[in-house]
Amino acid sequence: MNRSLPFEIFRYAAILLALAVTLIPTLWMASMAFKPIAEWSAAGADLTWWPKSPTLDNFRFIFGTSTSDLIVALDRTAGKPILASLLSAVFGTLIAMTAGTAGAYGLSRFGSGQNLPLALIQLRLFPPMAVMIPVMIMWAFFGLVDTWWGLALIYGIVTLPFAFWLMKTFFDDMPREIEDAALVEGCSRLRVFMKITLPMMRPALASSALFVFILNWSDYLIALLLTTREWVTIPVYMASLSSSMTGQLYGAKAALGLIAAVPPVIMGIAIQKHLVRGLTFGALKQ
Amino acid sequence: MTAIHLENLVKRFGAFTALKTMDLEIRDGEFMALLGPSGCGKSTTMNMIAGMEQPSEGRITFDGRDMNGVAMGRRGVGFVFQNYAIFTHMNVYDNLAYGLKVRGTPASEIDRRVKAMADFLQLTPMLDKPSAKLSVNILQRLAIGRSAIVEPAIFLLDEPLSNVDAAFRAVMRTELKHLQRQFRQTMVYVTHDQLEAMTMADRIAVMDHGVLQQVGTPLEVYNDPVNLFVADFIGSPGMNLLKGVLADSDRGLVADLGALGITAPIDPALSATARKHGIREVVYGFRPERVVLAGAGQGIAMPVTFIERIGARTVVHFGDGEQRVKAVFDNDVAVQTGETVHVAVEPGFARLFDAATGVAIREV
Repeated sequence: MNRSLPFEIFRYAAILLALAVTLIPTLWMASMAFKPIAEWSAAGADLTWWPKSPTLDNFRFIFGTSTSDLIVALDRTAGKPILASLLSAVFGTLIAMTAGTAGAYGLSRFGSGQNLPLALIQLRLFPPMAVMIPVMIMWAFFGLVDTWWGLALIYGIVTLPFAFWLMKTFFDDMPREIEDAALVEGCSRLRVFMKITLPMMRPALASSALFVFILNWSDYLIALLLTTREWVTIPVYMASLSSSMTGQLYGAKAALGLIAAVPPVIMGIAIQKHLVRGLTFGALKQ
Repeated sequence: MTAIHLENLVKRFGAFTALKTMDLEIRDGEFMALLGPSGCGKSTTMNMIAGMEQPSEGRITFDGRDMNGVAMGRRGVGFVFQNYAIFTHMNVYDNLAYGLKVRGTPASEIDRRVKAMADFLQLTPMLDKPSAKLSVNILQRLAIGRSAIVEPAIFLLDEPLSNVDAAFRAVMRTELKHLQRQFRQTMVYVTHDQLEAMTMADRIAVMDHGVLQQVGTPLEVYNDPVNLFVADFIGSPGMNLLKGVLADSDRGLVADLGALGITAPIDPALSATARKHGIREVVYGFRPERVVLAGAGQGIAMPVTFIERIGARTVVHFGDGEQRVKAVFDNDVAVQTGETVHVAVEPGFARLFDAATGVAIREV
């Protein structure tokens, strides 16, 4: 197709703008993570785009092995919060995906549980604060406050609607004839689901799981309310990286942010093949 | 190798009745085509035979065994779907082997039969290929192979050729017939394409609006349609159907074809039936293939409105409005658009229908 020059200029300008909006904050964070304190603090000499004397000090600092002049002493290191985030997000995603996939399959294929979609979404119908208070009371009653499993459970519950709705669209799009073809050969329902449906749904499962994982991984509010000390997650821990003496510890925050970006990126790369296929799902001629 | 018997079969979806009281006997080893336009209930019938749908009323028996409540996996049927329903996460070999694996067939036996089937359907070069990337024609072949490999007693095919290209369709028509001769299954074939039904089926069941219209050999439904629907639906183009009124004359009972300004004599045997039932308003029908050119002053004088070349033959359209007639001639027919020609119906090939009910008037 032949496009006019002004249109091409406009097109590339729009692309550049979109890239700038998404990439500059990320690059700024990456740059900040490797700067020594003098370069990121207001007390320092001059702010620079790129670290003049790159250092791993910020990373050492949050893991408690710093030897340099970051004055404050941390009362805890980033190790446990990273573990807390990983455990709660991974198990939360497992809960949401397992229950969501099962529910979506049931509704899509058998039409049972007509009220399920609305029932599932009700935790999202109210402002989070409104539902979090009763949740806090319940979690306290069951002794789930400040545990990674308590956090995983609530993550599984609040992201369940997303898993459910995503998977339902995928199941609705999958031709029933494929399952009927296996059933007519004498396959049991369960075996059809395990051997035919789920394997064919792999791209859908992968993209839904990534989406749900990112939601869980980036949560701040729920973790803030349901953890106190032992099992605070990365976002909560990050917010605590400040002190009355130095103010916000931007370098340390940036270093932690960079680490926090790693798992979603790895997951994204691992399932990239499926993500592209997920868009073109519908392997059959209709 | 099973006879299928449908007795008083009714299927309702909510308030909608998809199938109204169907009775059909499909004989052991027979190739039966269910033919009709979309929404006529042919696929619903097929799904009930397979066990995918449960009948609202009536019953289905295989060799006398009531199939009501028998799960589809236990009916011993093979089913080929219109959209193939290939397991795209498996390669061609695993697709073919699937039914045998589910049945717990030993691996060596599976291997032997998969290779034999691949050979029969010319799929051998693709056995290791992922099935997601195959062409439509090959997918269709694979779908047939996957169902045929377990040698089901009953083989059900739901419009299997509707998505493949014309040349391949012709090939598959022959191959399917060949496949049935080899395995001798009872075959039920759903289609809206009368050519497929005509060429392959031993008998055709013509359906419309959830009602079974006629069951018979291809030539029976073509030559002696039981009602106006079958007369119009079978044949390409369908039967010419002209409105007329029966009247007595010195030649016996004749049909006055109103707008055409002629009267057509009626076979004495049919006249007797018409008289007995007191039928006056009729539809006079004849196949376009049975129209011949007549000399001046004979037959019906009609203007040629359109000439349609379909390759092997030429379709000539006569007249317009209410009284239109189509005729199929050899390509060298000497008529031109605009001229008026005299045409006649070959003796013995006219059919008569009751205009009120649409039912054919036949000898008693």
